[in-house]
Amino acid sequence: MSNAATTRPNGLALFILPSALLFALFFFLPIGLMALMSVLTGNPVVMPKVAFTTRHYGRMIGDPYYLEVIWTTIRIGLVTTLVALAIGYPLAHWMARIKSRTGHALLLMAVLAPMLTGIVVRTFAWMTLLSDKGVVNQTLISLGLIAQPLKLMYTETGIVVGLVHIYVPFMVLTLTGVIGRIDERLEQAAENLGASPLRAFLEVTLPLSLPGILAGSLLVFALAISAYVTPILLGGFQIMTLPILIYQQISANFNVGFAAALGIVLLVISLLLVIAYNRALGLVSGQRELQ
Amino acid sequence: MQTTASPSLTAVQQAASARTPGPIRPYGRYLYLALNIAILIFLLAPIAIVVVFALNPTPFIQFPPVGVSLRWFEKFFASRDFMHALGFSLEVAVLTTLSATVLGASAALALARGNLPGTRLIVATMLSPLMLPAILTGLALFQTYVLLDVGRPTWGLVAGHTLVTLPYVVRTTLAVLHNFDTRLEEAAQNLGASPVRTFFEVTLPLIKPGVLAGAIFAFIVSFDQFPVSLFLVSPGNETLPVTLFNYLKFDLDGTIGAASVVSIVLAFVVVIGLDRTVGLRSYVKL
Repeated sequence: MSNAATTRPNGLALFILPSALLFALFFFLPIGLMALMSVLTGNPVVMPKVAFTTRHYGRMIGDPYYLEVIWTTIRIGLVTTLVALAIGYPLAHWMARIKSRTGHALLLMAVLAPMLTGIVVRTFAWMTLLSDKGVVNQTLISLGLIAQPLKLMYTETGIVVGLVHIYVPFMVLTLTGVIGRIDERLEQAAENLGASPLRAFLEVTLPLSLPGILAGSLLVFALAISAYVTPILLGGFQIMTLPILIYQQISANFNVGFAAALGIVLLVISLLLVIAYNRALGLVSGQRELQ
Repeated sequence: MQTTASPSLTAVQQAASARTPGPIRPYGRYLYLALNIAILIFLLAPIAIVVVFALNPTPFIQFPPVGVSLRWFEKFFASRDFMHALGFSLEVAVLTTLSATVLGASAALALARGNLPGTRLIVATMLSPLMLPAILTGLALFQTYVLLDVGRPTWGLVAGHTLVTLPYVVRTTLAVLHNFDTRLEEAAQNLGASPVRTFFEVTLPLIKPGVLAGAIFAFIVSFDQFPVSLFLVSPGNETLPVTLFNYLKFDLDGTIGAASVVSIVLAFVVVIGLDRTVGLRSYVKL
């Protein structure tokens, strides 16, 4: 923003103030208070004698149960991201390369339709598909392929399937933008020189789309580790993740301090991911400038 | 060939030397289409299934469906809890859309035209509620309201929703402002229009599509918002997603299907409206 440094803010700059106030009061202040609560022994409003403590963080590090919860959250996030990438890439490639305008509009609608269906509704859909008497098991039984219903729900697999469905549109939209910017003539040149379409893809398009892969993966990972509805409903309260634990600390244990400490851990992980995501997108635009 | 840094060049040269003809070409094409159609089925089948269960009359989830009935829709529309939740969700979504649109559009205007220092950082901050876990926004606001002893007021919920929907308005409005010829504004002012008149007669009509697109995103996101609401709703005054979630924990019958169909139809009506009025394509870039 070199021109911004040389010219002074004008009257229109004042229009930023209402939003700045909103962020100060309802974003920075609450997050600051959360950080503060995570190092206090209790609620300073109702308890006159509060002291600083590291016990909430100590509890997290000292108890293998909480480390296991954090690891489960990260593991579910990683698997979701990899599957979303495997499913999202072909669709993004098709969307970026399809010639027909109608075809593109239809694909876009197909990708946006799940996004516009609420998370609770989509999780309900997967419950009807994956439960013991659900569509998948009933179909497989009636076809004689299995005798007993497969345990699809209340497993990590079930959670991953639901999460992939919910977050794959974010992967597709990120990748479509990046693949669309890759000059199609590069692929055509490789094919004209005798490379198979698969080889042209693997050696031309795929390497050039790496920044998009990185950005999409970071976005999906950040969303997946902060999911609450899908892990709790498809995991049937049996698989514990960080967001579920945070809400449980508030709703069942009333342990605001520990919930705040868990929240700060999730916040730090997410902030690191946001910074990495912006770097990855910076790579995309940097590449465009080079072309 | 040490100078070939670009992967494309390497491929081209290797392909040229190998001269592998492409006999698998048609099969590869079919495989590519089949794979993509399978992915589309994965994306869309769950939504279709919801509609099937909303119309299936059995009191539990059963497949294949045994008939068609509207009993779950009747139960949904007759339920006081669901109707109250639907009304409250619409109220919150409308208030959120208004505040997010006014705040977001003004912020975008200031960022694009105000010569503010550190614009990149401000934009990144304003977009950050999109990527930071919404459950943390909910938790932090919940703790703040508890500490300040304000209870769980509707304005507190609307403020939380505004925070997570504002980024959409900022982004769509900025996109329009960046593609817009500032000479039009200069021309109006050179011809004697006051800055206020220029704003209302030139700037506002030109940025309207972006603002409108952002407003519609804000409405849908607020209407479907769950994690922030989870922490900020008070018992007896819950939004539709929270009511659905609480119902789903214990019951799995067609009422949820009917409620889902109602919210899907609402979202589709809004999106088709968006596509008809301003066109979707330029606003969904991430």
